[in-house]
Amino acid sequence: MHVVIIGNGVAGMEAALQIRAEAPDAGVTLVSEESDHFFSRTALMWVHSGQMSHRDIEPLERDAYVRHGFTRVRGRVVSLDAASKRLTLGDGETLDYDKLLIACGSRPRPGPWRGSDLRGVGHFVTLQDLEWYERELHGGPSHAGRPPRPDQHVPSSRPDSPYLPREAAAEARGSLSKRPAVIGGGLIGIEAVEVAHGKGLHPHFFIRDEWFWPMAIDATEAAWITERMRAHGVHVHLQHEVEHLEGDAQGNLTAVVTNHGRFEVDCAVVAIGVVPNTQWLADSGVALDAGGGVVVDAQQRTNVPDVFAAGDCASVRWSTGAQRPEQLWYTGRDQGRVAARAMLGQTGHAATYRRPTWYNSAKLMDIEYTTVGFVNMNQPGEREWFFEERGAVRSTTRIVHTDTGVIGFNLLGRRWDHSVLMEFIDAGRSLAYVLDHLHEAAFDTELVPPLVLPREAR
Amino acid sequence: MDLQGQNGLLSTYREGFRARGAAAWLIAATLVSFYVVLYWEDRLSGALGGRPLTWLAESLHLRNRWYLYGFLYCVAMSAGGVYYLRRHGNSRYNRTRIAVNVGVQVVFGFTLPFVMPLFEAPEFYFSYFWPLKYDYLYPQTLTQLPTYLSVYAVVGGLVAAPAMAYFFGKRWYCSWVCGCGGLANTFGDPYRHLTSKSTASWRFERVSIHSVLVIAIVTTALVGADFFWGESSPRLHAAATGGPLSVKELYGFVVGSILAGVIGTGLYPLLGPRSWCRNFCPMAALLGLVQKLGRYRITVKPDMCISCGNCSTYCEMGIDVRSYAQRNESFTRASCVGCGMCAHMCPRGVLKLENSSAPRQRAARASLPIVSG
Repeated sequence: MHVVIIGNGVAGMEAALQIRAEAPDAGVTLVSEESDHFFSRTALMWVHSGQMSHRDIEPLERDAYVRHGFTRVRGRVVSLDAASKRLTLGDGETLDYDKLLIACGSRPRPGPWRGSDLRGVGHFVTLQDLEWYERELHGGPSHAGRPPRPDQHVPSSRPDSPYLPREAAAEARGSLSKRPAVIGGGLIGIEAVEVAHGKGLHPHFFIRDEWFWPMAIDATEAAWITERMRAHGVHVHLQHEVEHLEGDAQGNLTAVVTNHGRFEVDCAVVAIGVVPNTQWLADSGVALDAGGGVVVDAQQRTNVPDVFAAGDCASVRWSTGAQRPEQLWYTGRDQGRVAARAMLGQTGHAATYRRPTWYNSAKLMDIEYTTVGFVNMNQPGEREWFFEERGAVRSTTRIVHTDTGVIGFNLLGRRWDHSVLMEFIDAGRSLAYVLDHLHEAAFDTELVPPLVLPREAR
Repeated sequence: MDLQGQNGLLSTYREGFRARGAAAWLIAATLVSFYVVLYWEDRLSGALGGRPLTWLAESLHLRNRWYLYGFLYCVAMSAGGVYYLRRHGNSRYNRTRIAVNVGVQVVFGFTLPFVMPLFEAPEFYFSYFWPLKYDYLYPQTLTQLPTYLSVYAVVGGLVAAPAMAYFFGKRWYCSWVCGCGGLANTFGDPYRHLTSKSTASWRFERVSIHSVLVIAIVTTALVGADFFWGESSPRLHAAATGGPLSVKELYGFVVGSILAGVIGTGLYPLLGPRSWCRNFCPMAALLGLVQKLGRYRITVKPDMCISCGNCSTYCEMGIDVRSYAQRNESFTRASCVGCGMCAHMCPRGVLKLENSSAPRQRAARASLPIVSG
């Protein structure tokens, strides 16, 4: 059997490893337009700052492809002929498959504004974005070097490919960026802000909403994060709707114009989300959802026989009934494993993807953040319990609960074991029970004084 | 405010002296030259036209060049400690650990050994134990020491140090007390990411460090045998302690000087700061074996790792922490010195150092009812 996997990100690579573990003789081909090696996309910010090298963000040793017998193709798939089970690459080569896994991920959502194509405007999602942003702020890569074969972009790439090298305004101008801007108040946005701050700059951070990242945190929590950003010299602009971008005669970005005024900048990272990287499937017969995600069932099967999808590009059924992608690292990994088992013909539990209770964590500037369950307070009957700690440790604890028990946790400033919090939710524990047992979920490092909830707070 | 994680981005690879650039080679060459002169100044005096370190020590009214080394060591460690705290001092574990380690070394590694002879007590290092301080179990040493120091050396090396490693992991010594580890974590901190993470380096480490431990035990046994039976057996005497090619002298030359000093410290900027601790230190080998059986572990929070690799990058012992975190596997590696940097660097708080009597393999709550691959 020959399995072709489009994309060597976490979903594709996990699927490949799973197939190898269960079917030692299966042929596995991984196609990537972006990179020779599987790497952790979540770690791009640390390569930019110089905290890690390109090699450091690759989880596998470089001989993994050879050791596991994976065939590697650096190229862009441009069309799928499902009837003859054949892929066509940009250079005209073809690739036949018995089973196909589409794991081509997502691409940055382009800025919708006039001036979005100016030199100096870019994103922070792909390796090529990283290289561009390094050139804008630092003039090039760190002593850790460039990614392997950085200039080998695929010649047959389309002009709209997210994996094309991008011109840097810093080089056209002859001076590095001094006033960068980041547009879009989400996780990639704050990462792009952090690396600019790490360079010693004071970036502008344009956020459309009332506060930073309202889909995940509430106004009080966001106020603390904004305070930290401002303390680090970041110009945080809330409720700024970008109207257009301005450039000079040479086509270099010079300003961001919002509904509140004009801001002189010399580089802008557009971080307003990602979209499934699936334009090439438009005429393939593979069903896409309204946002472009490949619609899959619980076995990661698409509507076309022997074609599966996993990871950022796959549109899955959520526990709420919604059908859309889940763009997280661990869901990509889990979907890849399920897809591998389904491609090998397995059924039942092992080959069924079931969405667990929502959880995630991050570090927002220097603030630890853990979230589990539903915390948005958008259903009737939801109440919240809130405690702010201001001692040796500063933290906030927000627990959302209903008459049937706790349903969500939003926790800043401390480390928590989400798996224990998930058990509280899944078991329908009451708020009183959870407050008595919250310490069981504590995951702070040693010597950190434990969170003590004063009696009156309960 | 107390923060647990790494605060702000490190610019490690944006500075050449930390990334094996020309400056790093220059620093390494300087350090190696310094150690060569320190160890073999007498033999090199002809080529050097004198004994520069002894001259410098005497002009500073220090007893000999080893006290000068102790003084320079304290300066390097203190300056490195400040550097470390500026980078990682936002965490209470890091602050406490480095403060204790620098304090122990300044007091027990330099001041006491300097002061004790003034009161007609022997020069004794309370912070070193057999087998790192390999001569502390030689009968020749034990019989010369006052009884309380002999008891301290024997009980400390054979009972207390391993017992502490059972309960707290080898970190109590390697990262809170030891002079080699202390220098590595302060003066050597700029280079901690350089330790090789390759499988090949792990294979080398397992053979080399346990070989040195065996050699240390054999050397101690032979030197001890010579004490009791050397007079009646000239061959034993010659092999154990007599002459420059005896095991005692060879061990001191190869392990004590070349591996611990010239390579272990001199090559910080090229090999990372713990190449001695990881590959050669017999004390680390012994405590590491105890650690595997003991209570110390790194607990992994299930299904939260994003494989970014900060933990593995900044592991000075070359442990691929990420590979365990990806598999949701709580673990204890013999080589882990418990510096805490992996947990500190983790952007998602996945890792936690712990001493616990609970079973090592905590049942991870898998997000899916599948066995992870």
